[in-house]
Amino acid sequence: MFAAAGMAAVVLLPQDISGPVRLDVPVAVDAAPVTLTPDTSTRVPGPTSPAAHSPRLPASDPVRVRIPALGVTSRIMHLGLERDGSMEVPPGAYPVGWYDRSPTPGQLGPAVLAGHVDWEGEPGAFYGLRELRVADIVVIDRADGTVATFRVDRVEEHPKDDFPTKDVYGDIDHAGLRLITCGGAFDEDTGDYLDNVIVFASLTATG
Amino acid sequence: MNRITRAAITVPVVGLTALLASAGPAAAAEGSAQADLTPVPVNPVNASGRGEVEISGTTLSFSLAAQGLLAGAPHAAHIHFGESARNECPTASDNNAAPLPGESDPHEHFTTTEGAPAYGEIVVSLTTTGDTSPSSGLAVDRFPVGDHFEYSRGDVQVSEEVAQAILSGKAVVVIHGVDYDGDGTYSAGDRGVSDLDPSLPGEATDPALCGVLNASQVSTQPVGAVAAGDGSSSADGGSALPYVLGGLGLTAAGGAAFAARRSSRATA
Ligand SMILES: [Cu+2]
Repeated sequence: MFAAAGMAAVVLLPQDISGPVRLDVPVAVDAAPVTLTPDTSTRVPGPTSPAAHSPRLPASDPVRVRIPALGVTSRIMHLGLERDGSMEVPPGAYPVGWYDRSPTPGQLGPAVLAGHVDWEGEPGAFYGLRELRVADIVVIDRADGTVATFRVDRVEEHPKDDFPTKDVYGDIDHAGLRLITCGGAFDEDTGDYLDNVIVFASLTATG
Repeated sequence: MNRITRAAITVPVVGLTALLASAGPAAAAEGSAQADLTPVPVNPVNASGRGEVEISGTTLSFSLAAQGLLAGAPHAAHIHFGESARNECPTASDNNAAPLPGESDPHEHFTTTEGAPAYGEIVVSLTTTGDTSPSSGLAVDRFPVGDHFEYSRGDVQVSEEVAQAILSGKAVVVIHGVDYDGDGTYSAGDRGVSDLDPSLPGEATDPALCGVLNASQVSTQPVGAVAAGDGSSSADGGSALPYVLGGLGLTAAGGAAFAARRSSRATA
């Protein structure tokens, strides 16, 4: 669906929301018919049935993530743990990583994806994460050929020194997804953002 | 020989990826599990507890806490599992399934043996020191004492089978010791002698608290927050803005969609 975007240079002013956002992408309108006029065919209704009847998939590694509302598509790599017990992060702006000690997306439990907000001057795969809204969808292509479609339940921002470990990694009664990136102010001294932006989503469709 | 070697070297480029993709996290026994402990049926227990277990290969570490059990008395505590057990905590219908030696009033006492069809036999003794094998199951001098305790241990060795059983939610934590007659100590009383060891009062070995160990969905929780940015796009980061993204159509389209959303939000 993005094949139409041929030539392209996009100028973003990420910190200046009120200022003009200049798009130099003539084909962008065709290339990205996304969310401004919500396309109901890609919107999945929210879960209405009890958790026991919520959809599930067997284990299969995630290979690709698509977030139509942000126009983001990324390959997915595996992430483990650093020596200090913190989660590894991808080595660059792309790809997104799946924390491989969490369930695979579509299985019961919180599948965890992390992506950079920025890296070496480039916006990362999860640069726009905080812009997601309730009911936006996130689509995961899996190694077994199945597709897991998640619906955003909420978007939260938390100080890193008060990370909601239990909400993010704790057991849940449905197939969930967590997308994690950085946010808030950047601390020059620590070389770190002060916050994490966390998107919580639930599996609504499989195919 | 040469051919085999060459094949072994060249094939895995694809093979390794496939292997990594399919192996996933479940390959080695690795993970954690928790049990909320509640009173077994029948027995007069007003207590609660929690067991937490971490497994790496065949090494197990655990922490165990309970409050409300008989004060000043040791409480044998185990991980139970049985291949043919139901892998759950007993219900009232397990009471009196078989008459037992030493049980004088079978309706009012629920013994460890009566619970076995539910939770199986002892596979780990959760002692405070020393041996943790099933043979320490009644080592009352090495179990936690009192109505409020919390302790932990590492480096407990278990079999692969037990490790797998725990991580697949089939193992059960049981803490023992029931003061039926309320005399403040383990005594033979109406309960009689233990079904496990006739040299001990039944009060000392009957099950008090039970909980199935449920594996965590996230097998190992990362510590702390996630370092997912280097500041190069932040205003404070001081790197060149604005970005110019070029080339790949995918990225460009993504940027456009994102920018469009931002602008819509800004004017909303
Ligand atoms: Cu026991």
